[in-house]
Amino acid sequence: MDTQAMTTNDWLGVFFLLVAASGMVAAYVMVFRPSNKERFESQAAMALDDEDPIKLGEKR
Amino acid sequence: MAATQATPVKYDMEVVRWFTIAAAIYACVGTLIGVYVASELAWPFLNFDLEWITFGRLRPLHTNAVIFAFGGCALMATGFYIVQRTGSTALWSNKLAWATFIGWNLIIVSAVVTLPLGWTSGKEYAELEWPIDIAIAVVWLMYGFNYIMTIGIRKTSHIYVSNWFTMGMIVMITYLHVVNSMAIPVSMTNSFSIYSGVQDAMIQWWWGHNAVGFYLTGGFLAIMYYFVPKQAGKPVFSYRLSVLHFWALSFGYVWLGAHHLQYTALPDWTGSLGAAVSLAMIIPSWGGAMNGMMTLSGAWDKLRTDYILRFLVVALAFYAMSTFEGPVMSIKTVNALSHYTDWTVGHVHSGALGWMAMVAYGAMYHMVKKLWGVEKMYSEGLVNVHFWLATIGTVVYVVAMWVSGIMQGLMWRDYDEYGTLTYTFVESVSAMHPYYAMRAIGGLIFNIGTWIALYNIVMTVRTASAARSASAVPANA
Repeated sequence: MDTQAMTTNDWLGVFFLLVAASGMVAAYVMVFRPSNKERFESQAAMALDDEDPIKLGEKR
Repeated sequence: MAATQATPVKYDMEVVRWFTIAAAIYACVGTLIGVYVASELAWPFLNFDLEWITFGRLRPLHTNAVIFAFGGCALMATGFYIVQRTGSTALWSNKLAWATFIGWNLIIVSAVVTLPLGWTSGKEYAELEWPIDIAIAVVWLMYGFNYIMTIGIRKTSHIYVSNWFTMGMIVMITYLHVVNSMAIPVSMTNSFSIYSGVQDAMIQWWWGHNAVGFYLTGGFLAIMYYFVPKQAGKPVFSYRLSVLHFWALSFGYVWLGAHHLQYTALPDWTGSLGAAVSLAMIIPSWGGAMNGMMTLSGAWDKLRTDYILRFLVVALAFYAMSTFEGPVMSIKTVNALSHYTDWTVGHVHSGALGWMAMVAYGAMYHMVKKLWGVEKMYSEGLVNVHFWLATIGTVVYVVAMWVSGIMQGLMWRDYDEYGTLTYTFVESVSAMHPYYAMRAIGGLIFNIGTWIALYNIVMTVRTASAARSASAVPANA
């Protein structure tokens, strides 16, 4: 690889690629870490927890 | 109710109601324009020699109407609904939400006026001229700021995954819209992109595919992750998978735009990179689709009687199908056949009609019942009729375009023994006629369904209002 020929844009591209790839790896580690399983899965029913009826004509 | 909850949450739902009704209206109008432009391709006399209603003028009006009017209102309705319900809080600013509603609708009106007049920047899915682009940025930021501030004042500790998808959409669409719309104005109705040549093409499709990725996919996945569990009465099958789905789409989608520019002046490696990441994206996309499907585990029997759930499940099937088809089409060997043909149009509509519109209608029906406090829609039977019209219309449309597109691709590259083209371009156009007629019919079937949905929603609202008035009379007497 001819690093001498790389422009600022090229280096920025490499930098952001590495940041994105590292972020993706970090996301996988965070999600699949066994110790985090309970923390995540405890939120699975969150959408079902808001069953209180919406009052008609409610305005603030 | 009051006995079980010490401090009942006061929600700002009036603006959500208006966004929901607006979405139902725009779906009818937007798809009707689509049917008309599809008919113009099959029967060109429908131009009537009027420049304002030619295909070139009305096609962007159709795409803007269905994506930004119908899709935008559906996204804002569900976004404001979900963020309040999952955060147990009212909106940060109800007034700002109303300003967003008014501003967004004024933008839609301006599109209706300017596009038939031919005032366009010529950038696909970003046709509106610079003054309207600025207005879009302002109104979108109002929506985004209000949404994120509402997240900030939530009463719950966790931010539900739907809100992450919506926030991802808000951040990325702001960035994409501003960068792609950079232009030098020469008058109030004309401007030129600040980019030129291949850079302009690259920026255009960086916007174009990410509008699909973050708006038509991410935004509508927010709907899916809230309304599928809600309608099925089941928790999300794997919450961890939903988190991974969000981050994988966020990191991956931004690389895909170049696959729209295979075999062009763009450097070859960019298209290859776009195709490679496109193929990798099948994994999180299918993971998400399976996650939605598996949420129904133990509740599949509900599909026999719950017509709203049918919308949501069929939407997931189309999501899975189109997120497989897209990457396959990005592969260079396939792209050599499919590009510039009607196959692309079929692919887009399997996503737009089958995924986006279906999941939006599932959510809208669900919300209408909650927002107007009724147990059932005015006619559950009409929901079922709408479901079948939408499904059949989509399938007829997509199949017509698949056949038409592949036939086009094969005719365009067929050579005889002397190395000359077997077919003229006009012969390929003539061969398309039956499929263009079939496409218009498929679109019409879908459009009829939207009018039935609008009738059903309006009648549900009227019935609920009448019931409320009737119950209020004795109290006031």
